[in-house]
Amino acid sequence: MDRYQYLILMGLCLLLTLPLEFLLGARVWRRPRRLLAALVPTAAVFIAWDVIAVARDHWGFNPRYTTGWEVLPDFPVDEVMFFVAVPVCALLTLEAVRNVLARLAREDA
Amino acid sequence: MIPAYPGFSVLAVVLVVVVERRVLRTGIFAEKAYWIAMGVVLAFQIPVDGWMTKLSAPIVVYNPEVLSGWRWPLDIPTEEFLYAWAMLTLVILLWERAGRRVRQPTAEERSRAGILGRL
Repeated sequence: MDRYQYLILMGLCLLLTLPLEFLLGARVWRRPRRLLAALVPTAAVFIAWDVIAVARDHWGFNPRYTTGWEVLPDFPVDEVMFFVAVPVCALLTLEAVRNVLARLAREDA
Repeated sequence: MIPAYPGFSVLAVVLVVVVERRVLRTGIFAEKAYWIAMGVVLAFQIPVDGWMTKLSAPIVVYNPEVLSGWRWPLDIPTEEFLYAWAMLTLVILLWERAGRRVRQPTAEERSRAGILGRL
């Protein structure tokens, strides 16, 4: 089970933020084209940085806590999932905060 | 020499600010919701990133030579907060750009333009 730790952690991030989509009406998952337009270029830039850093031995992923399913040498799919999960969490948070602020403003009015 | 991770993290922050100010101009830095959301994200980053970088059982292992040496809070390399800010702000900028609709001029603006056009 240990080797799924990183992947499970990313999954938990997505699971815990999922209520923002439905309870606070964040509408991030439900706008997939807009979501991809935000995720893909960011992931491209940061994964490129990441791949270079791993190749230059700046950092690496502990084989004990990663799946070992490598998309590039010493670069597990778990790390790719990081660049999906964490940005999605941030976008859900932004849209949820916007909705809460708008709701509060309406109540004041 | 500035170690690589803090050096490139600072550079990433600067580049993201330049992209917003000079290229995308989404206006996100003037929006209260953005700063509140980044505060919420920061609060959740500490336990998640803390888990990933804890020295007793790390998921991500850093070469000490590339780090600033500051590991706080928990065992998180402090420069990682700059890295995270740059990455997430870039995502938000692109989200804003992709969601931007071409604003149609209001009837008033159209008529004003009409008058000016005739002068």
